[in-house]
Amino acid sequence: MAMKFLVVDDSATMRRIVGNSLRNLGYQNFVEAGDGKDALEKLAADGEINFIITDWNMPVMSGLELTKAVRSNPKFEHLPILMVTTRGVKEDIIQALQAKVNNYIIKPFTPQILKEKIDQVLATV
Amino acid sequence: MKNPRNMTELFSKLNDLKSIFVYGQKIIPVIQSLIDFMKDTVPLLENINKSIDESTKKIPTAKDQLHNVSSATEMATTEILDRVDEIYEDLNASQQIINEISEKYSAKKDAYEKLKEHLKGDKKAFELLNELMKNGISEQLETLTTKINDIQDKTYHITLSLQVQDITSQQLEAVHHLIESVQYRLSSLITDLEDTEFNELEKSYKSKEITFDADASYEHEKENQKVADNLFGGKQVENASQSEIDKLFSGAK
Repeated sequence: MAMKFLVVDDSATMRRIVGNSLRNLGYQNFVEAGDGKDALEKLAADGEINFIITDWNMPVMSGLELTKAVRSNPKFEHLPILMVTTRGVKEDIIQALQAKVNNYIIKPFTPQILKEKIDQVLATV
Repeated sequence: MKNPRNMTELFSKLNDLKSIFVYGQKIIPVIQSLIDFMKDTVPLLENINKSIDESTKKIPTAKDQLHNVSSATEMATTEILDRVDEIYEDLNASQQIINEISEKYSAKKDAYEKLKEHLKGDKKAFELLNELMKNGISEQLETLTTKINDIQDKTYHITLSLQVQDITSQQLEAVHHLIESVQYRLSSLITDLEDTEFNELEKSYKSKEITFDADASYEHEKENQKVADNLFGGKQVENASQSEIDKLFSGAK
């Protein structure tokens, strides 16, 4: 199955960096969203998205709220979600875990860790 | 007055009155000092009020300056990303050209090999052909390809380093929020004077959504990444008990 990523971040810079990294890893197909609400709309409109990479801190709808919304929708509940965020405190990681994020990267990320986490998530779903 | 009991009462009351006067005489300098102190305090309070007012007025400028720093950094980062993308594309185009040269050279090499077979009897021509073959370019092309890959790798790492913009913008946003909270508290001190302005500020301050991480930091190999790895790498971690989670996190911040 061809991979299509949804990159969700309110920072245009971060979206480009994640996008460039995906291209470097050989994943050419991805769309972008500026916040959780935008992501949900894109998800509903685009039937090909099969992987979400999301930031946590975003206006309108956070990455955590997005994760909960995705997990509560039977159509998307098994969609892999990788959170890429600056939030590295214990309580935050637990919250993400409890919201059923598949894996977690603390910014700044390296290409190796991004590849490793995508591979890990894909191996488990 | 004829009654001795009444007289005693009268003297007692007069004594009380005398005590009051004596006390009054003693307290007058204290009251005077208090009045003097209050007279001195009034301009001081006015100065404090003025100072708070001025500080409150300066805060929007500080907020604007922070916002300008953030915007300028974002714009510069976008420009760097644009240039890096252009370099990347140019390098791809160069690599394409090298591949084409390499293909053409391989075709020529094949032709030379065939020619060599034909010229076996002609010693002079054979030597000349060998001389031409010696000046091959395949090694240089391979070196060029390695160099291009190396530059592409370096430009990609420049891109990755630009994550600092996202992290510093969150740090700036945290400072911005701190300034706003100071402004909110200063304004609440002068709320009696500028009631309507404060209400507007209060509304805007309280409705503001927090979309930054005040603890964001630009450092590689974070200890907490290992903690997250442990958690997410575990089996059925989403169902882990709090004590199991605490055990996994022991030693973490």
